[in-house]
Formats: sequence, C-alpha cells, structure tokens
Amino acid sequence: MSAVIDKARCNGCELCALYCPLDVIYMEDGVAVVRYPDECWYCGACRQECARDAVSFKFTPAMLGI
Amino acid sequence: MHLGGKTHRVKADVAIIGGGTAGLNTAMAAAECGASVLIVDKAHIQRSGAIAGGIDHFMAFMETGESWDTREAYLAYVGKVARGAANLRIHEKVLCDELPAAMARIEKMGISLRQEDGSYLRTQALGQPGPYSINFNGQRLKPAMALEVKRRKCRVLNRVQVTKLCLHEGEMAGFCGYDMRNGDFYEIQAKATVIATGNTNRMFKSQTGNPFNLWYCPANTGDLHRAAFDAGVELANVEYVRMTIVPKGFSAPGFNAFFGMGGKLVNGLGVPFMTDYHPQGDAAPRNVMVWAALTETKAGRGPIYVDVRHLSASDLAHLFSTLGIDKDTLPEFLMAKGYAREGAMIELTVSEPMQARPSEQCGSGIKIDEACASNVPGLFAAGDASDQMGCLHMCVAGGFYAGKQAAKYARARNRLLPLKAKELRQERLRVFAPMQRQNGLAPGEFENVVRIITTDHFGPIKNETSLKAGIAKLDALNSYRDELAAGDLHTLMRCHEAVNIHAVAKIVAETSLARTESRFSPYHHRSDFPESSDDWCGLVVARREGDNGVATRFETLLYDA
Repeated sequence: MSAVIDKARCNGCELCALYCPLDVIYMEDGVAVVRYPDECWYCGACRQECARDAVSFKFTPAMLGI
Repeated sequence: MHLGGKTHRVKADVAIIGGGTAGLNTAMAAAECGASVLIVDKAHIQRSGAIAGGIDHFMAFMETGESWDTREAYLAYVGKVARGAANLRIHEKVLCDELPAAMARIEKMGISLRQEDGSYLRTQALGQPGPYSINFNGQRLKPAMALEVKRRKCRVLNRVQVTKLCLHEGEMAGFCGYDMRNGDFYEIQAKATVIATGNTNRMFKSQTGNPFNLWYCPANTGDLHRAAFDAGVELANVEYVRMTIVPKGFSAPGFNAFFGMGGKLVNGLGVPFMTDYHPQGDAAPRNVMVWAALTETKAGRGPIYVDVRHLSASDLAHLFSTLGIDKDTLPEFLMAKGYAREGAMIELTVSEPMQARPSEQCGSGIKIDEACASNVPGLFAAGDASDQMGCLHMCVAGGFYAGKQAAKYARARNRLLPLKAKELRQERLRVFAPMQRQNGLAPGEFENVVRIITTDHFGPIKNETSLKAGIAKLDALNSYRDELAAGDLHTLMRCHEAVNIHAVAKIVAETSLARTESRFSPYHHRSDFPESSDDWCGLVVARREGDNGVATRFETLLYDA
C-alpha cells in the first residue's frame, strides 16, 4: 500500500502524477491512480500538492507490524 | 515492440543531469553567469531528489562570537568527523566561501531559515562542537528552487533518464537519454556538463523487505555513477556504506531531530548507552551511533529505543512538528504505531546501508577538484553525486559554486563538440532492448539478487574473503542483464536502474577490498583489518579498467591537527 487517492475528491488536475518523484502515479480516465503502490516512498509530495485533500496514506502491515 | 519515439537534439552551454537541490543551485549560478542552461531530471524538478517532501535543518557556522561558531572551528570539526574523506581545500571553496550567499539565497526564495520571531533555532548533534543545525520549515524549499530556475530562464527536461555520457577525443561532448513517459530519445550537446544525481540506494536489503521503504530517495540509483565510471571518470569515497538509525518499520529521516532535541538512545533494558561509546553521548557522529546500536543489538540488549519522555511539552511539540517537515508522513506513522505525542519510548532500528558519504561533511562519487571538475575535461559534479559534497548545506552552497565553475569552463570553450552518430544508434538499441524481450527477467528480481549478495557480503561488515566472493557473485550476474524485460516505459526505467545499482555495487566492493583498514565503522569496517591506520588517511580512487575491471589508487589527504 502507499499513497491512496480518493477518486471522488480528485479533480484530475494531474499535479500528483506530474510531480511524484518515484513515477508511481498516473492519470487513468481523468483521475489520478497509484499505479505502482509498492514503489511509493511515502514522501508526501503528492498530498502537499493536492488542492482537493484527495490523498491519504496507508501503511503496510510490515511497516506497522514489525 | 518499442524502439523509442522521436529523436530530439538539444544544445546548451551548461547541462545539468539531476535537478535536486545541488542541480538546481548549479543551474541558478550558471544562468547568473550568462550561460544557456539545461536541466535534465529523471523525475520532475518540482519534487525530485532527497528533499522532495521537505527538509528541516540546514547546517552552518554563523560567526556569532561563540568559539565554536567560526569558519576555523567549523573546518576543524570537518577535519575531525570526516577525516580521510573530506578534502578541506575543496571544502573551503564549496562550503565556507559560499555559505553566507547560500543562506541569503534560500531566504530570498521565500523560505525562511528562522523561527516566527526572527531568531534562529539551532540544535547540536552529529559530533558538532556547538549547535550548527538550524531548524527551519523547508517543506516548500524544493518547489521554491524549481520556481527560481524557471525565473532564471533555465530549460528543463523532466522524466528523462540519462543513460550514457559521450566523449570526443577524451573531452565531454554531451549525453543521451530517453523520456520515460513517451519514449522519445534525447541527444544533448553541452560545452560543460554537471552531474548532480545523488547517491545509490536500493543496493542493500531494507528493514521491511520493500526496497522503496528507504531513508534516502529510492529514485537515486547510481545512474550517473555508472555512466560516468563507464566513460572513464574517477570515483572516490565509494567504499563507504552509509546507514542511520530510523523508526522501526519506516526508514524515515528523524535522527537529527530526535537527538538534536535531546532524545536519548536506550537499549532493551531501558539503559542509555551512548556515553559508553563516545564522550559526546547522543550527540556523537552518526556512524558512532549506528555502531553502538548494532553492538547493543548484537550483544542481546535490543531492541533499541529513543527516549523522549524527559523533554518539555514545548520541545516535544517542536520535535513532532519538525519530524513531519523532514518526512511528511512520519508523525502519522508514529501515531498509527500507537506512540503518544506526550512522549514515548519509540522503537528504532539501524537502517538499510547505501552507497553514500561517510559523513555529513563530504560526498561519495565522482572525484572533484577545487573547481568541481572531474578528470574528464568538461565534466563537473555537485552534491551527493560528488566525492566532496553532501547534505543540504553543501548542496545549496557547493551546487552554486559548481555552476559558476561550469559556466566559466563553457565560456572558455568556444564550440560544442560533436556526438558520434554510431555510438548514439547503439545506445538507443541498448536502451530499448528490454522492451523487445518477451518473458524475460523482471528488474525487481534481478535487483533483489543484487541486494542479497551485497547484504550478505558487505552489508556492512566485510573482509577479504567475503568481498572477493561477493564480487564473483556480482560478476556472475552480468549475463542476466541481457535478459531483463520491460512491458512499459516505467519498467524500462527500473531495468536500467537495476543494472546501475548492480554496477555500483561492484565498485563499492572493489574499493572496499582496496582499503585494508577500517574507517567510519561500521561504514567501512573490515573484520580482517578492524583498526584505522594513518596510512589510509585519504581517498581510494576508482577507475574503470578494461571491460569489467576496477582499478584503484590512493590519494593522501592532509590535515593540520
């Protein structure tokens, strides 16, 4: 898991897909999608750039469990 | 079947590969000197590199009248904590001479280094003789720098991965790469080129098993360390594998904040232990802290924690706030783990190793001289990608210095040098070859094998036998490089990253083999040569030899005391 994008809130501005330093976010059908969730760095850049509060983060069982 | 899209030919006086902190400051300087500037970044300069999500401290001496706060005291500190790796003559040029202007530049871009009342909040850690680390809110620093290079009319190519440096009669002529979003191929000519692509990550196993859960930016994969090495460029300080202490489960920065604010490292018995290892206790240099944590754990006194329960309410509030500036998602991670803001014993662990500088006061990579120049005329390096710079303060200050030097070189060279058409055709075929293969090897699988070898053989403790056996295993992987397959351009990028990580891993192992002593333990710890020796106070310099060889030589560094 990784950054999670709320499709209902996303307005398709593309900033997260444009700026993601790991190239994991792409636009699909006009909304941003985390296409490579295992490659997320949890840097939070996408959330900081999002004007619609559409990005949250989900930590993996390994991150929380070990 | 992708053989790449359109070909674009671009020319510039100064071309910069890597648009992180160092690269953007290089661009600002070169533009200020009147050069036409091109920045090429694998991500997007708005949010690329080590400080993509933010940064919370800037190291500086400030001449406040305190004995520790002078240029001379700072240099003495560098000579002490980075002894054998930092060249003080270069340090004076890339940091000391540039520091006041660097700080002014940050503030002019609208990012304040001060607190709301106008004062500086400075903390002490990392072996510093006084509080050198200015705490500030750098969450918007990277976007501000990106705006600044646009204001200075620098051209930018985002999402372009550079794969090869092109020489003409031994001099830098240009380089090529491809756009990972559309497959277009770029052939770039420049009078001077600056490499500023950071260090090499994803080279060793990570704590959760996910190679992207890392302290440093996982997009930094030694792409230009490999390309430069292949072009005959010398590397130095690459035998060191850097580590830090991170929250268990999340390899995030926070070390400087935790210990700068007065956090205590304690073992599983609840006993603080750092004063047993260093007179400065929890303000010891990072490598000493890591060594102590490893030793305590190995002795069966783990796990380790940072105890912040004794901090005042206001210090705790600042700590949690600054942790979130350095790593945006860290405070919510700590909350999700169940740690309370009122203070807690937060479980920590030693992070993954990486190819990077052994100290905050030097670098690890392309060997530079006092003009930031490599041994190949026309090729310069800045920031973590160089052997003498690293950390925010040096990337801002030294990046700018490198830009001035590159612009000066470009001005003196009155023409662009030609690129060889045949060489470019061959590189284009090599670059897109993984997209021609069906059912080949996934880059993640290849990378994983590299990580197992590096971790088993030199991650971090090593000896002659482990290194030689590791090198043999890395060499045996060479044939698999031609089996890597990619179904899309994103995976193609990962294929090239995997190959670059593998190549740099071998250079790390070979240079580790050459240095028959230990220095900055555990960053370079040879179990067969566990002591440091004055004979090795200097740089192991690596250069390509033949098709697959690494030749090394030694260069002594001198210090006053």
